[in-house]
Amino acid sequence: MAEKTTASRSMNLRMTVYAALFTALIIIGGYISIPLPVGPVPIVLADFFVMITGLFLGFKWGLASVALYLSLGALGLPVFAGGRSGLAVLFGPTGGYLFGYLLLVSSVGLLASNRKESTVRNLMALIAGNILLYGAGVPWLKAVTNLGWAGAWAAGLIPFIPGIIIKIAVASILARVFLPRFKEISVQ
Amino acid sequence: MPILETRDLTHVFPDGTVAIEDIDLKVNEGEFLVIAGPNGSGKTVLARHLNGLLKPTRGQVFLNGEPISKNIIEARKNVGLVFQDPESQIVGQTVAEDVAFGPENLNLPVAQVEMVVKESLAAVGLSQLATRSPHALSGGEKRKLAIAGILAMKPKIIIFDEPFTGLDYPGVVQVLKEILRLHKTGHTILLITHELEKVLAHADRLVIMHKGRLVADGKPESVIYRVEEYGVRMPLRDGEKVEALTWLK
Amino acid sequence: MAEMTLFHYIHKNTVLHRMDGRLKLACLLLFSLAAGFASEFHDYLVPLSVLFCAILLAKLPFTTLLREMRFFGLIILIVIVVNSFTIPGDPIANSPLAGISQQGVSTGLRFAGRLLIVLLVSMVITGTTPLMKFRDAVEWYLRPVPFVPEARVATMINLTFLLIPVILDSFREMMDAQNSRCVQLRKNPVKRIKFLVFPLIDQTLRRADEIAYAMEARCYSEIRTRTAFKCGKIDWLMLAISLAVFFFVLL
Ligand SMILES: Nc1ncnc2c1ncn2[C@@H]1O[C@H](COP(=O)(O)OP(=O)(O)O)[C@@H](O)[C@H]1O
Ligand SMILES: [Mg+2]
Repeated sequence: MAEKTTASRSMNLRMTVYAALFTALIIIGGYISIPLPVGPVPIVLADFFVMITGLFLGFKWGLASVALYLSLGALGLPVFAGGRSGLAVLFGPTGGYLFGYLLLVSSVGLLASNRKESTVRNLMALIAGNILLYGAGVPWLKAVTNLGWAGAWAAGLIPFIPGIIIKIAVASILARVFLPRFKEISVQ
Repeated sequence: MPILETRDLTHVFPDGTVAIEDIDLKVNEGEFLVIAGPNGSGKTVLARHLNGLLKPTRGQVFLNGEPISKNIIEARKNVGLVFQDPESQIVGQTVAEDVAFGPENLNLPVAQVEMVVKESLAAVGLSQLATRSPHALSGGEKRKLAIAGILAMKPKIIIFDEPFTGLDYPGVVQVLKEILRLHKTGHTILLITHELEKVLAHADRLVIMHKGRLVADGKPESVIYRVEEYGVRMPLRDGEKVEALTWLK
Repeated sequence: MAEMTLFHYIHKNTVLHRMDGRLKLACLLLFSLAAGFASEFHDYLVPLSVLFCAILLAKLPFTTLLREMRFFGLIILIVIVVNSFTIPGDPIANSPLAGISQQGVSTGLRFAGRLLIVLLVSMVITGTTPLMKFRDAVEWYLRPVPFVPEARVATMINLTFLLIPVILDSFREMMDAQNSRCVQLRKNPVKRIKFLVFPLIDQTLRRADEIAYAMEARCYSEIRTRTAFKCGKIDWLMLAISLAVFFFVLL
């Protein structure tokens, strides 16, 4: 009995540390941008790390990690892309993407393979998650900026497509390489 | 009765790596024990069994004759472990807050936490830096902070995992002095290192690990001549005595 | 990226820096709400001038303020311009630009005012509050909330900000190592992200494991000593001022 409670307590601690780690990675991801050979929009890695968070931590802890990220930003800590923060960002033009992170992480966490590693399943989960992310981000952008549908799609989705594809590809490779080891550690 | 003892201690990782195998070790109260061995010989894994961070695949660890699995919190309070990388051990935003982490986990009253923090910082000579950010400290100071964090739990046994790694000469001297002081004040010391030349003069006993097994155990002056067989650099030059093996003048 | 590790906290010894974190968070909330409710011109003027005094009181450098503003300047400008032209209404007399409506301009200005209040208040709060106090205040507010383990959330906040400089350091080292091996010659972006992200994840996962072990070794528990808060008369005065501003805007 005592054995069991210590085991689950140390499991909880481990997941707490991982969740904090992924929150930190999401924050840092907002500061890292990589130029693309096509298109004017550089890749920002925040949403990439949200995908990874979903794959690695699953639904519950992944959601906790992203919720923490959003709350820290809402409270004024400069954690959003480019070091911005506050309700002004959360409810500004790009706020839909930020709330979309919640959809992204929970759908990836729910849909991705949890027991056996399946790259196909991970890929489907990532694609579904991204559809939800932009499904939240683009209409929000339209509503806040009065851009109209055509403008919203043109500004809020098209330039990101090459980046989305690359991020999904890398995320699924990453899951294949690290997840087996990670799960081993986290069940030990 | 030994204060700390392992019997048949074996740890196999899920990937099949046998990290330690059939370790029988008895540590007596007040002893200064040096554990040496090449990289990957299982020193860190052994240390992590001694306060119950890892669960043995086989065998057991006893503290004062009781299996530590019976009361793991008690074991962790009594057996302090200073990690190899002090960075990963620091969890506070300030020096004082970091030292408070342990006593706060024990749910001590606020006043008592404050007192313990003061004492521990004073013990390692970091009182002046209490409000600093840990990341602004020097290498030697970071190690001392890690030690203070352990002292705040009032352990009887302190294990140092490679405490000299990455320290410059003054850093090594600082930390070494601290370890000796802790030994003098009645703590049982287990020191893991492969840099015997820095510390062996002060040890009561030397244990060698090799490929997960305990291969030699005895007085430093008798074990020292066998270290080269097991991949540890022989620190003595011709005619030198073990007493010469210290970085303290 | 260096400023990220500082996280905009500017160490000074002023009334605002010493203020109780819980009351500060309450002030943050009141001002944010005030920004939402503001409608008339003076609704913006009052909170803004109070915040301006707060910045002076906290001795925050105006360069920080300007840096914060830089990100938002463009958005504000775009919103004003877009709104001015698209919102139908009475044309402005004697305006050199055709098509600008009074309603449009005032909507744009309101948006800007709201943004400015929220921006300034979060700048004052983050500039004067060390992470510790912030975390403890959050923990305190979460205590009565059911199903939210406040100690765990506090630990997560702590670890997140502990890990950011650590990750950035190893990231920078890795970038340097790869740049010295000419990674920029790689054209394939998948490869580039891979080279960047894989070692980063690998290292940080290891680091996280070590931290978890180290915390366990120090008997980590979520049932732990709780922070003792201290709040003085001046702290309550600050809250009272924030309340006054809030009600002024509301009424
Ligand atoms: N989490 C782990 N999974 C698998 N093998 C491990 C793990 N941790 C350590 N090992 C292996 O256990 C052995 C002993 O490691 P360690 O105790 O760290 O060595 P030392 O501290 O003596 O350098 C090594 O072969 C190492 O590769
Ligand atoms: Mg080791």
